[in-house]
Amino acid sequence: MVIAAGNVFLPRARLDALFDLLHEGGRTIIGPTVRDGMLVLDRLERVEDLPIGWRDEQAPGRYRLVRGATERAFDVVNGQMSWKQFTFPPKQKVGMMRRDEAGSVAFAAVPPDPPRLAFLGVRACELAALGIQDRVLAGGTFVDEDYRARRESALVVAVQCGRAGDACFCASMGTGPEVRGGHDLVMSELDAGFVVSAGSPAGERLLARLPGRVASPAEEAEASASVAAVRAAQGDPVVIEGLRDRLMDQLDSPRWEEVADRCLACANCTMVCPTCFCTSTAITSDLDGRVNVAERHWDSCFTAGFAKVAGGNFRPERSDRYRQWLTHKFATWVDQFGTYGCVGCARCITWCPVGIDVREELAAIAPPAAPPEQLLTRPAAATPGRFEVVTLRASQRETADTTSLFLQPTEPALLAGLPGQFVMVEQPGFPSLPISVSRYGTDELVLTVRAAGPATAALIAEAPGAQIGLRGPLGRAWPVDRALGRNVLIVTGGIGLAPLRPVLDAIVASRDRFGEVLLAYGARTPSDRLFTDELERWAQHGIEVAQIVDRAEPGWEGRVGVVTQLLDRRDFGRRPTVAFVCGPERMMQATVTTLRDRGVAPERLFVSMERHMQCGIGLCGHCQMGPYFVCRDGPVFSVGELGELFGKEGL
Amino acid sequence: MTATTVAAPRVGVVKMASCDGCQLTLLDLEDELLAIGERFELVEFPEATSRRSEGPYDVLLVEGSISTPEQAEQIEELRQRSKLLVTIGACATAGGIQAMRNWGNEPEWRAMVYPEPEHIESLAQARPIADYVKVDAELRGCPIDPGQLLELLTALRLGRRPQLPDEAVCLECKRLGQVCVLVAGGAPCMGPLTVTGCGALCPGFARGCYACFGPREQANVASLAGWFAADRSGPDVDRLFAGFTGWSEPFREHAARAVTHFGTGNAETSVQDERTTDEEPGA
Repeated sequence: MVIAAGNVFLPRARLDALFDLLHEGGRTIIGPTVRDGMLVLDRLERVEDLPIGWRDEQAPGRYRLVRGATERAFDVVNGQMSWKQFTFPPKQKVGMMRRDEAGSVAFAAVPPDPPRLAFLGVRACELAALGIQDRVLAGGTFVDEDYRARRESALVVAVQCGRAGDACFCASMGTGPEVRGGHDLVMSELDAGFVVSAGSPAGERLLARLPGRVASPAEEAEASASVAAVRAAQGDPVVIEGLRDRLMDQLDSPRWEEVADRCLACANCTMVCPTCFCTSTAITSDLDGRVNVAERHWDSCFTAGFAKVAGGNFRPERSDRYRQWLTHKFATWVDQFGTYGCVGCARCITWCPVGIDVREELAAIAPPAAPPEQLLTRPAAATPGRFEVVTLRASQRETADTTSLFLQPTEPALLAGLPGQFVMVEQPGFPSLPISVSRYGTDELVLTVRAAGPATAALIAEAPGAQIGLRGPLGRAWPVDRALGRNVLIVTGGIGLAPLRPVLDAIVASRDRFGEVLLAYGARTPSDRLFTDELERWAQHGIEVAQIVDRAEPGWEGRVGVVTQLLDRRDFGRRPTVAFVCGPERMMQATVTTLRDRGVAPERLFVSMERHMQCGIGLCGHCQMGPYFVCRDGPVFSVGELGELFGKEGL
Repeated sequence: MTATTVAAPRVGVVKMASCDGCQLTLLDLEDELLAIGERFELVEFPEATSRRSEGPYDVLLVEGSISTPEQAEQIEELRQRSKLLVTIGACATAGGIQAMRNWGNEPEWRAMVYPEPEHIESLAQARPIADYVKVDAELRGCPIDPGQLLELLTALRLGRRPQLPDEAVCLECKRLGQVCVLVAGGAPCMGPLTVTGCGALCPGFARGCYACFGPREQANVASLAGWFAADRSGPDVDRLFAGFTGWSEPFREHAARAVTHFGTGNAETSVQDERTTDEEPGA
């Protein structure tokens, strides 16, 4: 049956008919296919060449093809290649120059000779990307004729996304997931077949010849619901409002240096980007210098030569190049072309060899005016008054006044916390107490408690088998991931070692991922030191453990003094250092002053603040400090975030 | 041929400690070899001709690293007899595979390798030519790329700067439409740190780049090594750097650890680790 207009339902078994139509007139179909186990865009001869039954798994720096649960043809959201491979080839001969025997020269440009292609399986974000390149390469005063010819000759068959890629953010960029234009045909894949509609006169003509029947309302509804689910799954990970200005206000952000520590300047993000258009033209000449052949190839603002002139390089550092790239994509592109240079396809995230996530960088460099609530873990029983019951399995005396409690939780969320988070503890007869978690075991939680008042004294006096209530883990953690690949400095005094022990556990578990690690630990007396057996164990794991006490005792051969003395004559500038500091506020102030003097940037200097916490979730107001609720926005802050607040009395 | 209106430059090709593979690249330029022969006077090239010359040279291509006291003297003399000195290949530019001995105990290793070590005179370290004399240009790689060699010769003849890109292997790999073996295959690919020139050869055969062209400008070794360390042991990461260009400054710290590990550690483990590394790209 042939239908004149409206949406067509094409049964899965008749997808070959679409291939036949697209092949007409000697057209080559280009689409996703699996080659040597990798997804590429390449020539498709028949339906079976599509990645039927495959799905992609994407994460920053990681891409895998896996077998999916369905036999769908378009469940792979995207791969490394974008369609610019065909509209804007990576290497293109653009001209030739010749000097003859008499010395006269002649030039020959390469005229456009576009192959007749049909693109099958173009996503909404990619249509948007083609639209952006249309503006850049063919929408201004000067036009890339080869690009325009390739675009004009190609048929575009779009596909509505039925799955959200793991890093996709087209919904934020306003480019998807729904296909809105720029296509000849668009297909929605259902289990039984495809709902197909036209987006251009050429598409109408193809649709009229496609076998099938009018799509039913139920099929139309299923198609709409499918793409709506993709939108819902994606959320809105990049806040676009005011992004241009927010970013341009941050040209001096310290984060540029920070990201440059991770960035390889390898240019992969720009190679895989469907909108990046930068090129260089190389001349190949014969040995006598008579013939020049000019070949244009994709280049990148991340390469050394890209901003080089005879006198030097305008963007010598990786931080310069990353800033150039990010501000172009999300700010100056708007000024030049009236659109962002990003469509949210997430390729730059997935194909970055070291997993730099542009969503995170944007949030860190140009945070939205009202930052969204950040909870690193979903805590157990967060509501004030609701507690999870846990059982005291054992307790262990650490020092004269400090005891570790080994608690058996049944609620998994309690074990899923992060280093530096705390729990609210409630026991019969006492108000709740915030206590830092000193270790996350596989099936137990350890709290190390100093008897500082009646409630803590009662807590550590509990006998094994006793039940208490816990809410948490709460608050912001030590950013251990910021310390990956860097030197780590842990400076602490007395009980302050307890909330830092999970950091040391994390370092010991992946020792190779960190640079040099120094634990500088101060205590009142040698017998006030916590975890003395573990101090030795950490030293065996390549952690330098330096100790100092206020007052020696018989048998103590170590140093006597204050903890900052352990930092004297040390150079932290050679390799970026991340410092985690926890102790009494005066000790933290002295440490921070020392470390800043020795070149540790305030953005990499983290402290754990202490305030009166009661609810633990930013509702009761007790722990307010400037713009922060310490329980919810901290307790861990960078010194940069605290700014003037840090060390100010009376806050 | 009519083009040779000026005197053909006198070119020498010499070797130090090396395998000769790089100088053979000149002979591999089969299509251009006659034209090169007409435009350059190859006065010294023992691999190709028994005619010899002690110079002076307009251009001297030097292959190999300085590995013996004799070579150390020889290179000084050659430098004085050459207008332009160009080093070719990983040995000449970075020390080569023989620089792996630089961290070891040279007399001990010599005794292990040679039955009569007293006849061998070698320096404690095999070092790149630039450690001894001024170098005017270098071609990287193990072996060098014929296209880059031709570009160098063309540029020399025309009196312009050779166009030798200083960018990561990744760019060429992506332009060729090769899917990333690091991101999609989990292979420990050194492409992001390595200067291009090879045509992204190894990733084209589904295995990681092993950095035979050596580090590019601003090679961010710490970042990529840190990333690799997430699912590899420290020695496995170190070994990635201990190849043809392990002695180059950016790779040296890791390569040193790898060699030390190999020298003192368990040989069985090392062999097994290498096999695992080889298998990964295809997996």
